[in-house]
Amino acid sequence: MIVLEGIEKSFGEVRAVAGVSFQVPDGRITGLLGPNGAGKTTALRIVYGVLRADAGRALVDGLDLGANRLEAQRRLGVLPHAQGLYARLTAREHVLYFGELQGLSGDRLARRTDELVRRLGMEDFADRRADGFSQGQRVKVALARALVHDPPNVVLDEPTNGLDVAATRQVRSLLHELREQGRCVLFSSHVMQEVSALCDRVVVIARGRVVAEGTPDDLRRQTGREHLEDAFVAAIGSEEGLS
Amino acid sequence: MSWVRASSVVFLKEVHEGFRDRRSVLTALFFPALGPALLVVLISIVSQTSREVDEKGVSIPVAGSQNAPNLVAFLSQGARVVPAPDDPEEAVRRGDADVVVVIPPDFGERLRSGRPAPIRLVVDESRDQARPAMRAAERLLGAWAHQTGAQRLMLRGVHPAVVEPLALEHVDISTPASRLASLLATVPFFIVMAIFTGGMAIAIDTTAGERERQSLEPLFTLPVPRGVLVIGKVAATCVFGVVTLVETLLLFGLVPVALPASRIGFSVKLDPWMLARTVGLGLPMVLLASALMVLVAARARTFRSAQTTLSILTLLPALPGIVLGLLRARPADALLAVPFLGQQVLVMRMLRDEPVDFIQATVAGGATMALAGLVIAIAVRSFERGRPLFDE
Repeated sequence: MIVLEGIEKSFGEVRAVAGVSFQVPDGRITGLLGPNGAGKTTALRIVYGVLRADAGRALVDGLDLGANRLEAQRRLGVLPHAQGLYARLTAREHVLYFGELQGLSGDRLARRTDELVRRLGMEDFADRRADGFSQGQRVKVALARALVHDPPNVVLDEPTNGLDVAATRQVRSLLHELREQGRCVLFSSHVMQEVSALCDRVVVIARGRVVAEGTPDDLRRQTGREHLEDAFVAAIGSEEGLS
Repeated sequence: MSWVRASSVVFLKEVHEGFRDRRSVLTALFFPALGPALLVVLISIVSQTSREVDEKGVSIPVAGSQNAPNLVAFLSQGARVVPAPDDPEEAVRRGDADVVVVIPPDFGERLRSGRPAPIRLVVDESRDQARPAMRAAERLLGAWAHQTGAQRLMLRGVHPAVVEPLALEHVDISTPASRLASLLATVPFFIVMAIFTGGMAIAIDTTAGERERQSLEPLFTLPVPRGVLVIGKVAATCVFGVVTLVETLLLFGLVPVALPASRIGFSVKLDPWMLARTVGLGLPMVLLASALMVLVAARARTFRSAQTTLSILTLLPALPGIVLGLLRARPADALLAVPFLGQQVLVMRMLRDEPVDFIQATVAGGATMALAGLVIAIAVRSFERGRPLFDE
């Protein structure tokens, strides 16, 4: 369970997040939808602990990211905005490195790594160096290292960005599986089809504020539009930055 | 998970990855050869020229030698007398001659009448190379004047010792080995350079490079204190620094093997025991250099700017030592507490065969370690505040 309470964050003059509050329940997929520059990445960065909020707080299973970062991060699996790999490490070494830093070791880590390699279909490139991986392969490595410690909460920033159809479908099925396992899943997107295809709940964010929240049905009702797409546009107030 | 364990995970990964980087490995392998190779070349050249002087002796051009045959005969006992060029002053100015003795036509007449006989010594005091020839000419002329004066006194029944209150003895302690000292001043410089250069690639790669390749943000999402990352990265940088340091010293140890005393006429003092002690002096420097490079590279905006800044940073600590070495100044003991400078002074003393006591080495090492601790603390704080990912 992830909770944001009145999060604010400015970079100099720019107010990236201007008081965002919402809850992400367990066993559900929650989509954070908004145009580019709406403040999605900044809000997520505060949730996964690489940025500090100017005001408000983010809680993961009741643990405050500001006061108790390490404990909170232990309960998070993160596919961050930046998903760079180490060119001279193999896919498997990436997963092992993150696993060790999560406190895993020995047989347990080796077994968990094998499991993820199989689950994500990484057998062909697991022992190749990351230099020259395709975007799809890179995202799989990034997902595997994010999930190595079996986290109860998963945060993903634009997980299907730049992926082809097959890879996108694999990511979607993984997210469904995480939901079936009862985890709390929060992901951001500026692609409406994706949000409507995946989400149980949607939080629409624009200009650093939450402008609508609820199930897709709730949103249709709130905005009085029949199509979800029209509902989003109505909630955001413009079509700019969406796709 | 303990700090030690987490740091060692980061450390092992960075070292593992670093050794897969050809650029880091090649730098660490080949840079150390630079200093020793240069030293071999310089020593060969110096020993060659000093041997030429020793064998052929100094030559003194003399103008008007027909005016003073006795004097010229005396000069030729201590040097090779050669005919002077047409324009002595121009020849010395151009550096064609190191010194020219000009004997005017009235020399013989004034000498016979007991008045001071004029003689001109044309020299250029600003030319260091001409100094041996100048000294030789002055010494020989002085000796002749002294001998002639003594004979005159004896003819008049006075013992020459009467006018000689001083028995001045000129003792030249310069040896080929001591002339070598200014060449050996490059040794501490290359040691410091090696320490920085060895770790530079990995220091940049694991900080500015990690941010530029976008792998730092994922790392920052992990439940590890940022200090753990700093310590792992500094320690990995140290490994490359130590490898380069030890390799540099091993290669310096080969210099006397490449230039045996039998070939160059004197021995180069770079013995194994001295080099082993230099490793001890070098280790604190490796720690400080690695911490400095990680801190600076973490604050650089890009990979490229980190490279530029670190290249300059590398020169700064190396320069004061080489300047002191070239000036052959003896610095105050307080300077031993200045990191890098202190160690360079101590290495230089060992090279000159001067005593280095344990306390001096401890002061230098302790001050360096203390500063390294401070730099690491600043780097940890910098990482805690989001560097190098963000600047909060």
